[in-house]
Amino acid sequence: MYDFLTSIELYNFLKGPMVWIAFLVFICGSIYRTISLIMLAKKDKVVYPYLSLKYTLRSLAHWLIPFGSRNMRLHPWMTFFAFTFHIGLLVTPIFLYPHIMLWYKAWGVRWWSLPENVADIMTLIVVLCCVFFIFRRMFASEVRFVTYASDYLIIAIAAAPFVTGFLSFHQLIFPYRLMLILHIIIGELMLMVIPFTRLSHMLFFWLTRAHTGSEFGVFRHSKDY
Amino acid sequence: MIKMQRKTVTDQGFDETVKNLTPEKIEKTINYVLKKEAAARLKAYVETCVHCGLCNEACHFYLSYDRDPSYSPVSKVRQTLWDMMKKKGKVDAETLKMYARIGYTECNICRRCSMYCPFGIDMGYLMILVRRICGLLKVAPLYLQDQGYSHMYTYSQSWVAQDDWVDTVQFVEEEIRMDIKNARIPLDKEGAEIMYSPHSLEAKFKTNLLANIAKIMNVAKIDWTMPSFDGWDSTNQAMHVGDHETMGMVERMHFNAGFKLKVKKIVTSE
Repeated sequence: MYDFLTSIELYNFLKGPMVWIAFLVFICGSIYRTISLIMLAKKDKVVYPYLSLKYTLRSLAHWLIPFGSRNMRLHPWMTFFAFTFHIGLLVTPIFLYPHIMLWYKAWGVRWWSLPENVADIMTLIVVLCCVFFIFRRMFASEVRFVTYASDYLIIAIAAAPFVTGFLSFHQLIFPYRLMLILHIIIGELMLMVIPFTRLSHMLFFWLTRAHTGSEFGVFRHSKDY
Repeated sequence: MIKMQRKTVTDQGFDETVKNLTPEKIEKTINYVLKKEAAARLKAYVETCVHCGLCNEACHFYLSYDRDPSYSPVSKVRQTLWDMMKKKGKVDAETLKMYARIGYTECNICRRCSMYCPFGIDMGYLMILVRRICGLLKVAPLYLQDQGYSHMYTYSQSWVAQDDWVDTVQFVEEEIRMDIKNARIPLDKEGAEIMYSPHSLEAKFKTNLLANIAKIMNVAKIDWTMPSFDGWDSTNQAMHVGDHETMGMVERMHFNAGFKLKVKKIVTSE
């Protein structure tokens, strides 16, 4: 098992065809999920008549700017951790030097990268945020009441690539090769499950906000933030 | 603080009607509403919600019950809709009674929580679905059911039929002439500026409210009217029972009255 996991064949497969598969599943899955939802929305007669670009943008702006909505101001810590987490989650893997090197080797494209120690700190912050979310789920009674096992699983899926990435970079716990392969497997797995789990809130956020923002703006003439 | 205690409340609309239900009937109804009627919004809301519990602060039930987590918006959805979906509609009558209790008496669908949700998830709509399911199975507070049937039978909320309505208006007109000389309540005046449509109870118990409005309109010399025919009532209790068919009929009737009289605005009371 150990030999298989650290074999060069597996490494090459994960670095080559599996990346294609993961990205194809992620991109095609996302497109499929988004389009199928948009098509399904035609059956809901109250969705399309209200849609308005102006109020969609107003709603998105208020919910994408930290402390832009009343509820964010009511929960300052949650807002702080949630924004830090999501920014770290998106920015760190895209601007990490080793990741960029992989793109460069494959396609010859490269872009600006994060300094090594900054990327390290950002990784730790993402993991810290996940720990905060887990503690919040465990100890805030109103959140614990609506927590299922799948909620912990989602946090684990989001945290795992960062934990394994950090460990492999610093060569801790497991040998470097094994940790790296685990990191790649988990990263690819995470990409693939995004469209099909509740991580799809990444795709649907824009759509649900568009509907609610427009409805509150056009129909009720009130704020939704 | 988790209490989750509920006082035992008896309501014939719940207790008697659940006796007529069979598990098959419940399952069929739940699956019909969730699979046939609800579409994109239900799917998007259920699959987007990350169970963060940030909607709590919005709910006046939650706040006034000392932050009891079982009253928070998301937990009400958890105890009803998620529960149904998890069990695929296979629930017994007692559970359905609990859904109805939550849907009708622990959430009044003010939709404040959708203004607090980071995703803008409309929990009011989800609770309306719960009411729709319970309403189709006729498990609803008796008082509300009664008003729903009144809409079907008399086209008004409180069993005031069209002839009673015209009678009431004439009586109110007479009343206000004690205060204002030659005051008028113009019925069926085509092309008026405003169609006033009262709350049904203004024609039943609270005619003084109708008189007040009539006085204001007369003194302010506003070009107004009211329909003498069905559609004068601005309320819609069928909506609250989950009876969407009657709800559509009542709404259409109300707006048709405005079109028929060619008014510019419809003013409703509450």
